Amino acid sequence: MNVMWLFTLLLLLAGSGCSERALKHMPDVSTSAGPPNRTALIRTEHLPNVELTTHEGRAVRFYEDLVKGQVVAINFMFTTCGNTCPLITEHLAMAQKSLDEPMRHKITLLSISLEPEHDTPEMLRGYRKTRGVGPGWIFLTGRRDDIEFLRRRLGVYDLDPVIDTDPSQHAGIVILGNEPQGRWKAISALSHPIRIRQAMERTILPPNQWPTGETVVNEVPSQDNEEVETADLSILPSVN
Amino acid sequence: MEDTLGISRRDLLRWGIVIGGAAMLPGGLRPSLAHADDLPPSPHTDPFILELKPGQGIPPVARKVTPFNTQADPGICVNVDGTTAFHVSKPRVVPANTEFFLIHEKSMSHSFHPQLPNNILWGYDGLIPGPTIVAKSGTPQLVRFVNDLPVNDPVGIGEPISAIHRHGGFQAPQDDGYPLDTFCTGQSRDYFFPNRPAGGLLQNEHSTNWYHDHSIDITGQNVYRGLSGFYPYTNSFDTGDEGTGLHLPANFYNGTPVGPFDIGLVFQDRQFNSEGYLVYNTFDHDGFIGDKFCVNGLIQPYLKVQRRKYRFRFLNGSNARVYQFFLSSGQPFVAIGTDSNLLPQPVTAQSVRISPAERVDVVIDFTNYQNNSEVFLVNRLQQTDGRKPNGLVSRGTPILKFLVEGVVPTADPSDVPATLLPVTEGPAQLLPQVKVQRRIKAERSNGAWVINGQFFDENRIIARPKRGEPEIWILESGGGWVHPFHVHLSEFFILSRDGKQPPPLERGRKDTVLIGGDVARETRILIKFEEFTGRYVFHCHNIEHEDMRMMAQFEIQP
Repeated sequence: MNVMWLFTLLLLLAGSGCSERALKHMPDVSTSAGPPNRTALIRTEHLPNVELTTHEGRAVRFYEDLVKGQVVAINFMFTTCGNTCPLITEHLAMAQKSLDEPMRHKITLLSISLEPEHDTPEMLRGYRKTRGVGPGWIFLTGRRDDIEFLRRRLGVYDLDPVIDTDPSQHAGIVILGNEPQGRWKAISALSHPIRIRQAMERTILPPNQWPTGETVVNEVPSQDNEEVETADLSILPSVN
Repeated sequence: MEDTLGISRRDLLRWGIVIGGAAMLPGGLRPSLAHADDLPPSPHTDPFILELKPGQGIPPVARKVTPFNTQADPGICVNVDGTTAFHVSKPRVVPANTEFFLIHEKSMSHSFHPQLPNNILWGYDGLIPGPTIVAKSGTPQLVRFVNDLPVNDPVGIGEPISAIHRHGGFQAPQDDGYPLDTFCTGQSRDYFFPNRPAGGLLQNEHSTNWYHDHSIDITGQNVYRGLSGFYPYTNSFDTGDEGTGLHLPANFYNGTPVGPFDIGLVFQDRQFNSEGYLVYNTFDHDGFIGDKFCVNGLIQPYLKVQRRKYRFRFLNGSNARVYQFFLSSGQPFVAIGTDSNLLPQPVTAQSVRISPAERVDVVIDFTNYQNNSEVFLVNRLQQTDGRKPNGLVSRGTPILKFLVEGVVPTADPSDVPATLLPVTEGPAQLLPQVKVQRRIKAERSNGAWVINGQFFDENRIIARPKRGEPEIWILESGGGWVHPFHVHLSEFFILSRDGKQPPPLERGRKDTVLIGGDVARETRILIKFEEFTGRYVFHCHNIEHEDMRMMAQFEIQP
């Protein structure tokens, strides 16, 4: 057992050491020799350094100030969104709250406005207050074209342009990323809050510490929903 | 010189195919439309310079190991090969005739093409595809997978955590690769496969299955990184020996000088950056599409074939791309199997469409080609995003070259008999027993996926079919998306496609069926579960959709 732990620790150290080196030097992926570092590759392709403004009115850069070296949960919303956003915000709040104390401080939630002209820092502060949003959760606004660019880089779009430009149908997914380890995934923010929390845990923790199996399954009470109809055989084509 | 496929000499030149000694190497191999992920095109690679051969793309048959102890509690365990891992499986007793296998998941250096640098991939036993595990009906197998994948791999994608699903397999819930039944680096897990036909029925004997990663959140990344392999079956009629049973072309590559004449071909699209390193978009939840076509991990290889019949087990191992294959010579395919089972009779088809996770077993007879003839396997279905194929194009892309060798035909004891695997319990016998039908509607909702209006939850059962009682499932898909719909544990019959009889290649058994888009708004299937009870999943096999939880659970009742 001790040998295994030592082995794992060595691997962890070796791995994270690599990632940190990459972050310090920000190698240009296009000229690096050898396979690109996964962290650098994701940064280059998906984590632009666009300027945003926090709900506190602070100017920040997306990559450098918000994501670099962090574990993040990112979603897009707007304060006047009446259907999905309140539910998504509620789910994310419950997920964040249900994380164990040490883990809660290891993930930052980032909610980015899709209606930046309307959602001034004041509006976002008001929204946070009404929704009871606590620490470790930053709401962001900015220039519309910057946010559009960021949204597309993060894959939060719909291939159907009609749906994509309809704010009422905007993607309700939460992007989960462990930036220093280059591990990224996504889950619907309309999933059960405990499922979102479990996915957050799988983002914060290395895979060898993921909670798995029946306990994870049963942590959410049964959501069973079975619908059965009487078979209608009359409309089938003839079979040979 | 336009042949029946619409492939002209000009097209062949455009593809850079060597004809009469003249090589043309234009950059015409890329899809004409922009890549949906806004990724720059992969670098140019010359097609058909890399040979697909045993040891290079054709994996060896996995070798049995000495039986080992399966009755210990979870804990540190020394394997029969001297390696050590923390074993997570509960103790169990297996039948005395069980065959044992030991497979390590490891990272390795892999060459997709000599003009690209080597990439660091993950493979079963460090191979792409993984070793071919051959099942024999009536002989159970226990496969111990050891996860030796690197923690915090500084390059590539994927996460070093695994659940192994034997796709198409008839196995108990705990051996089915449920997405949360995982094991991680330094751990091992056992999978027991009984290798008997469902319900004891001959018609349910399997032929072509495969195994791949199935872990929660990141299956798409792990499979793209290399974790898949073939798991074919042999049985009393599909014997793996062309001298017995149905006499189908046979011999897997197992180190003997004969053959192989039965070759698994897995088709996977991949994308590379300007330096030739494999790239993937973890932020693409539509379904990742690459612009390079790999066969068994090699970009556009060639395969030397003798003048005789070959059996190819086509497997679409891509994350999201659908293919439709033609032969450049205009010769039709003789399909002998779809997904897990042989067909009742061979089906002659000018083309085969194959969506992610589907298999089609075909026989191609090269007897009548002249020495040094070149025959191309051409994909004419264009697709630029994960939503659906754009449609058939007249030219397409040649993916594999068969190079026919032999001044005279090779002696060929193989045959394709007119009757393969008769269906004794089909729709005619089962429909009178059907009492219930279920609607399963796949839809996109707020950037993610719902089934019957609900997001996936690990603790939600949406169907409780009774063991041994056939049911009709009505599969619908909205919004113009296609989804390769896959049900675990049991194959099924397709009853109708938008009210009409399905095309000939869909009249056998299936475990994966493409629904939605232009294929069919409504697909009705007939399914029956045998022997095992408990929880299984069905899901979309566009793996990015699957990772975004386009999945639901059913629980078979005793």
